[in-house]
Amino acid sequence: MTDDVEPPPEPGSVPRHLRPDDVGLAQPRDFVHCRPFLFQSGQELPGFTLRYETYGTPNITRDNAVLICHALSGDHHCAGWHSPDDRKPGWWNNLIGPGKAVDTRRFFVICANVLGGCQGSTGPSSTDPSTGRPYGTAFPFVTISDIVRSQKLLLDHLGIAELHAVIGGSMGGMTATQFSIEFPALVHRVLAMASTARESAQAIAFNEVGRQAIMQDPAWNRGDYPRDGGPRVGLAIARMMAHITYVSDASMDRKFGRRRAPAGDAAPDAFDVPFEVESYLRHQGQSFINRFDANSYLTITRALDQFDLAQAYGSLERAFAPVQAETLIVGFASDWLFPPEQNREIALALLRAGKRANYAELATDLGHDSFLLESEELYTLVRAFLEREQVVFDFTI
Amino acid sequence: MNRPVEKRTIDMQIIGDWVEPGSRVLDLGCGRGELLDYLAQTKQVSSVGVDLDFLRITACVRRGVNAYQGDITDFMRSFPKRHFDRVICSRTVHELNDPAAVILEALRVGRSLTVGFVNHGFWKNRLNTLLRGRKVRNVVYPTEWFESRPANPVTIADFEDFCGKKGVRIARRALLLGDWKSPCPALPNLLAGYALYDLTR
Repeated sequence: MTDDVEPPPEPGSVPRHLRPDDVGLAQPRDFVHCRPFLFQSGQELPGFTLRYETYGTPNITRDNAVLICHALSGDHHCAGWHSPDDRKPGWWNNLIGPGKAVDTRRFFVICANVLGGCQGSTGPSSTDPSTGRPYGTAFPFVTISDIVRSQKLLLDHLGIAELHAVIGGSMGGMTATQFSIEFPALVHRVLAMASTARESAQAIAFNEVGRQAIMQDPAWNRGDYPRDGGPRVGLAIARMMAHITYVSDASMDRKFGRRRAPAGDAAPDAFDVPFEVESYLRHQGQSFINRFDANSYLTITRALDQFDLAQAYGSLERAFAPVQAETLIVGFASDWLFPPEQNREIALALLRAGKRANYAELATDLGHDSFLLESEELYTLVRAFLEREQVVFDFTI
Repeated sequence: MNRPVEKRTIDMQIIGDWVEPGSRVLDLGCGRGELLDYLAQTKQVSSVGVDLDFLRITACVRRGVNAYQGDITDFMRSFPKRHFDRVICSRTVHELNDPAAVILEALRVGRSLTVGFVNHGFWKNRLNTLLRGRKVRNVVYPTEWFESRPANPVTIADFEDFCGKKGVRIARRALLLGDWKSPCPALPNLLAGYALYDLTR
């Protein structure tokens, strides 16, 4: 996900958080689990915290909950604003809100920062109670299954025993799929976009370059660094490289072409920033280090790399055998990180396993991050999947 | 009800009569999912449709018909032998690049295959070509040449010839006159407007 900011509102217009289709000011909350949590690796934490947000309200039968799962660099803040002065809203604000595709007048929407993350949930930058210092690399090895099981405990805490839908893009799509495998009775619908059932060699390779950029930075210091320090250069480079994999040749060329950076930004040094795309990537890198922890980046990219449903369950069909949900997989033509074929494979395996599954593909040229796209076609599809009316058509002649 | 809609429903009825209740059905070129919706409601089938168009897939999703956006041959290649009880290819054959490959692949993934098509050997089509000397245009093919997709018109004679050559068994057929309602008593390649076949290997 990019760190682009929204243009400021026009003077005199309705404040953005008060628009009728906006969830408004969102209040993050903490769920504190005080019992030991066993990771898939066999490692254990004495407890953990998940930071989360909710929008909308549960209905009387408590069957209108929609769980949103975020991607690698996302967080629990997927809609609304934390303050009227925020430079941008939650990362999926275009999709979630009153009257939007995920309609908060109808659904109780929940989104939590993943275990191992750094936006308020327990992760490598949290304090290890046994040492009084950040866990760092001593934090347990996290998998997508650990993320799912920790969020199930949050749902239990919220009194949510069934999910109308689990929705996610990229890693969020993996999480949504894993949810329907591990808690089949809980999940009625899965909507996974720009996702995969198996992190490919290319995707692992990109992650590894990012990890090496972090780990080769002397400030990483084998994961032992102060909260306000750490491998800022390495993390920024990791982010710059990853960012390229989230977009596409066509979209970058449209956005930047070969335009030169404004003269004011460029140092006299001949090796510095001649092109706008370079200053843009540097900005992306710099924004990222102010909001993300390097050890979390290592932890979560490792969780992505480990994700391989066929290997974990013997085959994809066996992995999907327990699934009860209906699944909608959405691929994007220009996504070269999790390309359409990998998305198709999820839907095909579900169908082979005799499950209800759909596959749709949008012909955008915006690359992997297309799932965040403002697209009426995508909204219509999402709404059709979530709000389908049970109309009995009259076929009598 | 206007005529094309009426024709659509007659088509659906015969296709539905050949479908076993509760069976697993694949519809090649499922459009907006009307047929599979009808079969789900009348025959309680579990089904999936394949189509190329995003908006048609959206329409299927809205009515609760499982749909897959993509190429029908690639789709079928992803399934084991006899995964489906019945494959349906209704008014799609004339738009296929390689009809033989699709039909034979459909008979691999399905125990039986329904093929329905407009008979271009129908006398009105012949007369049309003879007298007007132009591309056939009627209620089913209303568009001018310059606004039509490439089509590969098929006749009953062509189709049965193909089945004989490829060893495809015709288990049942329904041949209908130009009203697509009354059974065709004789000379089907000349008198039938619409043909439906139930095929097996």
